[in-house]
Amino acid sequence: MSGNAARMGACAALLLICCLSAQDFTQRGFVQTGLTLYPQTAPNDSGQAVGDALFRYEASYKVRPWLRISASLDTAFDTHEQVERSAHLDWQDRGLRRPLLSLRELNATISKGKLTAEFGKQFIRWGKADLLNPTDRFSPKDFLSVTDPGFLAVTAARVIYDTGANSFDLVWQPRFTPSRTPLLDQRWTVLPESLDDVTLHDLGSVFPGRSSFGARWNHIGSGYEVSASFYDGFNSLPIFQAYSNDDFRRLYPALRLYGVDAAVPLPWFTVKTEAAYYTSPDKRQDEYVIYVIQFERQIKEFAIVAGYAGDAVTSYTPGLQFSPELGFARAILAHAQYTIDSTRSVATDAAVRQNGDGSWLRTVYSESLGQHWRVTAGYTWIRGNPSDFLGEYHRNSYALLALRYSF
Amino acid sequence: MSKTLLVAGCWWLVVAAVCAQDARQIVAESQKRGLSRSQQYEGTLEVIGSGNKISLKRWTYERIGSYGSSKAILRFTAPAEVKGVALLIVNHADRASDQWMWTPALERDRRIALQDRSTRFFGTDFSFEDLEERDVNQFDYKLAGEETFDGQPCWKIESKPKEGKSSQYTSSVLMIRKDNYVVIQIENFAKEKLVRRIHYSDVQQQDGIWVGRTTEVLDANRGSRTVLKLEKLKYNLPMQEESFTLEALRRG
Repeated sequence: MSGNAARMGACAALLLICCLSAQDFTQRGFVQTGLTLYPQTAPNDSGQAVGDALFRYEASYKVRPWLRISASLDTAFDTHEQVERSAHLDWQDRGLRRPLLSLRELNATISKGKLTAEFGKQFIRWGKADLLNPTDRFSPKDFLSVTDPGFLAVTAARVIYDTGANSFDLVWQPRFTPSRTPLLDQRWTVLPESLDDVTLHDLGSVFPGRSSFGARWNHIGSGYEVSASFYDGFNSLPIFQAYSNDDFRRLYPALRLYGVDAAVPLPWFTVKTEAAYYTSPDKRQDEYVIYVIQFERQIKEFAIVAGYAGDAVTSYTPGLQFSPELGFARAILAHAQYTIDSTRSVATDAAVRQNGDGSWLRTVYSESLGQHWRVTAGYTWIRGNPSDFLGEYHRNSYALLALRYSF
Repeated sequence: MSKTLLVAGCWWLVVAAVCAQDARQIVAESQKRGLSRSQQYEGTLEVIGSGNKISLKRWTYERIGSYGSSKAILRFTAPAEVKGVALLIVNHADRASDQWMWTPALERDRRIALQDRSTRFFGTDFSFEDLEERDVNQFDYKLAGEETFDGQPCWKIESKPKEGKSSQYTSSVLMIRKDNYVVIQIENFAKEKLVRRIHYSDVQQQDGIWVGRTTEVLDANRGSRTVLKLEKLKYNLPMQEESFTLEALRRG
């Protein structure tokens, strides 16, 4: 019996090896280490040097011509306790800190002709603009470093019918994934001076019970591309509800969104625009329109994107909400990249609030060394008035050095 | 005397017209012989910078249709850091192509602004315009002579974009083999200055189509070169239009 089991195990292993060695199996990943240096301390954070490391492994296997399974795993570590210290496999992405070991993505994609269905933990990105994406509602973010967010996957079922000229995208997200907000005891949370002597108690988060739904139609015409989208669910960014002077809880307001986006290539530049009207069915957050218009042009090795993001609040709701989207609105935004040669590039991003109260500028130099290594060095300047969303981080300018090995 | 001049003038006009027609016919025949419903290959690229710095890239390429109505998807398989990056190109006969790039790290596709087709393609010495397939009717042609090139008798043909047709090049010189109508070199000029030389070698027949399996591009301004070798080349494989959409670009 044990011999049979061993033989079956060997056969299964051989089969697995045969499968995985087939061309239908692809894998990639990287190991990255980084060092972030802050010239200034912050009132709630004396740390000036943060080291971090990330290992990411992504694999994809085409089981059948119409079925693909994809998975991705992250292992992270840092010196500033932005990463949890307990070594359990996290798949929910609901913690305040980044998980040490995370199932970043696990999904099955079924495609048949014009129809594609995707089930599981997956990334869903909507919108056409590059500077800001108001219609991108199924993409919660990790804002532990506010000016350098990363995207989180959501657990959802997605069906896309794509005819080439038109595509229809339906998404149902049964389980809510929140955005990760800055940690209370770290520099990206700037507390009012009145709370200097108060010890705040975090009573945790109240996650929505019901599911979210979204639909999007995209049309590619002759010389233009346009989309319309609808979302009914919850804001992934919380409001902070106080229960007493020093206790608070995170709540996620209901959100309904109507969005449009478009791209029009013109002889001299490409215009991309995106706008969304956010309403709040439970009246727990402001209702507003947020929009972005950008102009994009590539001149030989130089690519430039410049635009404006604006907002108009139609209904105010008192309360405290962390809202980087509005924080980057009413601002001129720009991105420029120069490709020096096939291995080196330099890029600059900038945001300047129209009233001049806040500005952010990041310049990054990147060079690949051989086939696997890449070194990146950059500096981010943040200036402004403490009452402004960007300006309040004026003590958080930083230098970054990162080394990545890709495989 | 004036009658002789008139006859001579008419004769030269006729000769010029016949030569122009011949040149156009040669190019048209060359394109006709290279026509295919689809194409697939794995490309290995060696980019040799001006300081002899070498970088290697690999991609897979699939195309459906040809010339002005074609669509293509190109996926990088190496180096590791760009593995999975993909590009969808939708060509149009009358205007610049539409292009979208899929970047796995961002998990999104992004439309690429491409007003300037002289931009280098992904750090290679190809410009975006070089990757487009030329429609024979967008250029005027002139037979500039016949000469032996790479050991083969060739037609030497000059081409210029027709008025109103945009191109980074003001003129090009094509060398077309007489035996199989394969273009084996294109020299592209801007105001009589050589900008880019594209040389095709290792000419073989694949699925009934003669093709240069090695392409060397010289960027004369930068002094850098790119060598593209086509492996596992196939023509006229059955392909579906659904495999050349934004959704197909995303799902890989």
